[in-house]
Amino acid sequence: MSIQFKTIVELRAMLDSKQISAAELMQESLGLAKKHEELNCFVTMNEEQALKKASAIDLNEKTTSNLSGIPLAQKDLFCTEGLRTTCSSKILSNFIPPYTATAVKNLEDAGSVTIGKTNMDEFAMGSSNETSFFGSVHNPWKKEYVPGGSSGGSAAAVAAGIVPAATGTDTGGSIRQPAAHCGITGLKPTYGRVSRWGMIAFASSLDQAGPLARTSEDCAILLNAMSGFDSKDTTSLNTEVPDFLENINNPINGIRIGIIKEFNLADLDSQVQERFEESKKTYEKLGARFVEVSLPNISASVPTYYSIAPAECSSNLSRFDGVRFGYRAENTDDLNDLYIKSRSEGFGDEVKRRILIGTYALSAGYYDAYYKKAQQVRRLIKEDFEHAFESVDLLMTPTSPNTAFKFGSKGTQNPVELYLEDLFTISSNLAGIPAISIPHGLVNSLPAGLQLIGNFLREDQLLNAAHIFQKNSDFHLLKPDLEGSQ
Amino acid sequence: MSWETVIGLETHVQLSTKTKLFSRASTAFGASPNTNVNLIDCGLPGVLPSVNKEAFYKAIRFGMAVNATINQTSIFDRKNYFYADLPKGYQITQMDLPIVLGGSIEINLDGLTKTINITRAHLEEDAGKSIHDEFDGFSAIDLNRAGTPLLEIVSEPEISSAKEAVAYMKAMHQLVTFLDVSDGNMAQGSLRCDANVSIRKKGDQELGTRTEIKNINSFKFIEKAINFEIKRQIKILENGEKVTQETRLYDSSKDETRPMRSKEFANDYRYFPEPDLLPVVISDEEITKIRDEFPELPKEKEIRYQKQFGLSAYDAQIIASSKSMADFFEAALKKTKNYSLLSNWLIGEISAYLNKNQIEIHESKLSADNVAMLINRIDDQTISGKIGKSIFEEMCESGSSVDEIIKSQGLKQISDDGAIEEIILTVINENPDQVAAYLAGKDKLFGFFVGQVMKLTEGKANPKTVNTILKNKLK
Amino acid sequence: MDQETVRTICYLARLDIDQSKSGKIQKDLERIIDLIGELQRINTSDVEPLYSPLEMTSFMHEDIESSDNKKERFLENAPASNENYFLVPRVVE
Repeated sequence: MSIQFKTIVELRAMLDSKQISAAELMQESLGLAKKHEELNCFVTMNEEQALKKASAIDLNEKTTSNLSGIPLAQKDLFCTEGLRTTCSSKILSNFIPPYTATAVKNLEDAGSVTIGKTNMDEFAMGSSNETSFFGSVHNPWKKEYVPGGSSGGSAAAVAAGIVPAATGTDTGGSIRQPAAHCGITGLKPTYGRVSRWGMIAFASSLDQAGPLARTSEDCAILLNAMSGFDSKDTTSLNTEVPDFLENINNPINGIRIGIIKEFNLADLDSQVQERFEESKKTYEKLGARFVEVSLPNISASVPTYYSIAPAECSSNLSRFDGVRFGYRAENTDDLNDLYIKSRSEGFGDEVKRRILIGTYALSAGYYDAYYKKAQQVRRLIKEDFEHAFESVDLLMTPTSPNTAFKFGSKGTQNPVELYLEDLFTISSNLAGIPAISIPHGLVNSLPAGLQLIGNFLREDQLLNAAHIFQKNSDFHLLKPDLEGSQ
Repeated sequence: MSWETVIGLETHVQLSTKTKLFSRASTAFGASPNTNVNLIDCGLPGVLPSVNKEAFYKAIRFGMAVNATINQTSIFDRKNYFYADLPKGYQITQMDLPIVLGGSIEINLDGLTKTINITRAHLEEDAGKSIHDEFDGFSAIDLNRAGTPLLEIVSEPEISSAKEAVAYMKAMHQLVTFLDVSDGNMAQGSLRCDANVSIRKKGDQELGTRTEIKNINSFKFIEKAINFEIKRQIKILENGEKVTQETRLYDSSKDETRPMRSKEFANDYRYFPEPDLLPVVISDEEITKIRDEFPELPKEKEIRYQKQFGLSAYDAQIIASSKSMADFFEAALKKTKNYSLLSNWLIGEISAYLNKNQIEIHESKLSADNVAMLINRIDDQTISGKIGKSIFEEMCESGSSVDEIIKSQGLKQISDDGAIEEIILTVINENPDQVAAYLAGKDKLFGFFVGQVMKLTEGKANPKTVNTILKNKLK
Repeated sequence: MDQETVRTICYLARLDIDQSKSGKIQKDLERIIDLIGELQRINTSDVEPLYSPLEMTSFMHEDIESSDNKKERFLENAPASNENYFLVPRVVE
């Protein structure tokens, strides 16, 4: 029986009823990865270790965790001990971490098995997966289209049914946007919900790890395992983690959903608009009440983000200097020359662009006007959300203004064009609040995503609302035709 | 033309915590290269810092001692620059909200007291160490020191001579060691300073162009480096030229300062709040606790030593002025009751030995227990003061206890009357002429007989007993 | 943003831009700076900057050693090292 496109819940049942062993499941999953190599989802496979762990699981009769023996893929910016971790960059193309990220360790401790590391935009900087040193990931729905980014490899691997779920990270939409473009479910948790220890930093105050899966229920299973306080990350939240499955089936009648006035949806592609209106109707049928809310500063999210994120990244990426790990250029005259050549040869153009912007935003004379100003606007945006959540439970937007685009068709002449694609996703990173993207139908045979934004620490509400939607629709069941897609 | 020197010092005090400022790796000095290094200190991708609570407490204790304002909410910033021994490409330090703000310290010079104001003191991490001359064509990087907590104390530019600068550093050394915030070991770099030196015409209000002499790590070098720099700058100004603002290094082998090559042009450090660390807030309870546990400072010790142990003002002042001496004294007091003999020894023999060898007492092989026992053996007349001195020398060499040395060298004082009487009789029998002369009134010969007895007993006879018996026998 | 500013920023970031791409990069940077410049129209007087979405205070570690030295593996990952040290081209101070 094929395991392709199966959910964690389905695979759990197959494992528990001995329809399949963990080792067989791993063989199948690894086989699918190989079969769909042309999608370029993976940078590094973990075949040997995965099979070894699966066999060990088969020998151990007692299974208490619902993740035991489940194959997962990890975004290649989580450090994995002994397994190459590249951030899809030349500068880390030979880096073998001596330790494992907490998020991955938590998942592995719960019994899941890492089959490989997924391709991504270099250092998570990009929303099309075109900046990877290892080449772009192809969208399983249409192979000449981008999968979205930066967690494009994870999204495509799940969409192609190779693994039931994968990890991603989201700094400005990097889980939700590829989930939307690939027709799967992706959740960015509250900032601090999941430890950032071992997650290679892009922008420290915005980065957050989360799950990508076929259903919101599976996202809840992953989030249960990933979450929790970690003394190694002093920005992780020291609060009790609820069981995200517990209230996932609660009825949602009476729930208040806000529509953000400042996002002028009439400007969007008519079919994207149409999908949004349809989903609104679905929620209304399920008992939701829609309210228009105003977030006066939200349209400043993109410029705010593109000041803060590059500033933090310019500093975070200074450690890639060719001294202690990673790529070092040859034939250098002195230390400075070594830095300049190693970094210039090791980083791709988009990463360089962002480092330069960040360096500029932090430099003497510009700090107040760019960096500090952006952090002030950030507070205004956060306060807008706080105000909105006084009258609504959730906010709803499309995940992305457009569906996936063709390779090379956006941002090559003007990078800002691509940055504006992040309009709907970026603000929740600035405010640190959770948001989920769920598939809600196709536009020109490509998936479109619906985003729900929740209040601080209310992933439970998001997962509940998403799950009820998925129980009453079948968009999440749509599968790409991998043989036929061109 | 009359010139005036203006000096401001940035003192780096290495805090005596067991672990680093942002990681739990050891800070022990002298470990094999790159062994006191964990994932965080190595600056690996994906690692995150966490703040050492004890480093904060020590910084606060310092702030309280100099009557500064303590910022109970303080934040860390990143200072961005590239250097081989700076693993992350930035140093975590405190820019806008340092833990300690203001305060002052008193310095003593030639019997006069002067107050130097402190601008601020902040916590920051140290860098690693580059070794430039051991490998052909390479510099070698050891990250053991990377992340060690430093308190950088910035003085106002109120120091007006090299001698004052030394006095300031000595006062700082005394303070941080008594506060137990640092071991103050200058040879190991626990206390070092950067000196900002400028010259102006006497009476001018505006400061002259300054140069910064980096990383000076001994009192002697501070004086020499600053004096060299003062002369150099005055010469430039007298020639009608301008001083260049730059960073310089002091080369002790040539006794000169020279510009640093590796800082070729002014950097833009791009400070911004460290996003991996949230603000640190110290509660009122913690402040109270630190205040309640405040250590005793030299002045208080001086008074207590006089009151409690009957030391003279002079002795008390000397012993209380050095943390290691005071600690030693207080530890030895637990094992001996002869306070005055102990303080005599500390100020006499022991200080002489330490001065001769240019070391601090805790760097010697002397232990407080051993010295206390030595005092006790002299006190109970097991040994004479003179033998005590030779035992002390042996103790300095081997670190052995007094009883071990007495045993191994058979140095125990002979106080047994019978044994001494026997020896005295031998001496009298062997020197009939001298006995006759003595009895005829040549009193001075008494010393000769004592000397003979001591010779035969190898100095171990109790002199008092010898005197008494000898006087009896020579009647 | 002029050529000189681009050069200074490149030096601070230790990046070198291919001559053939420098015009394009300069233009890209100008566009991004223009985008960020839109913030100027928002009034932020008296607004405290928000540096982290978590408005909390830091957890601190106790001063207790926890050794996880992996010297061999650290040096193994280094592009140039000997048995004890990371190596870089010789620096003259």
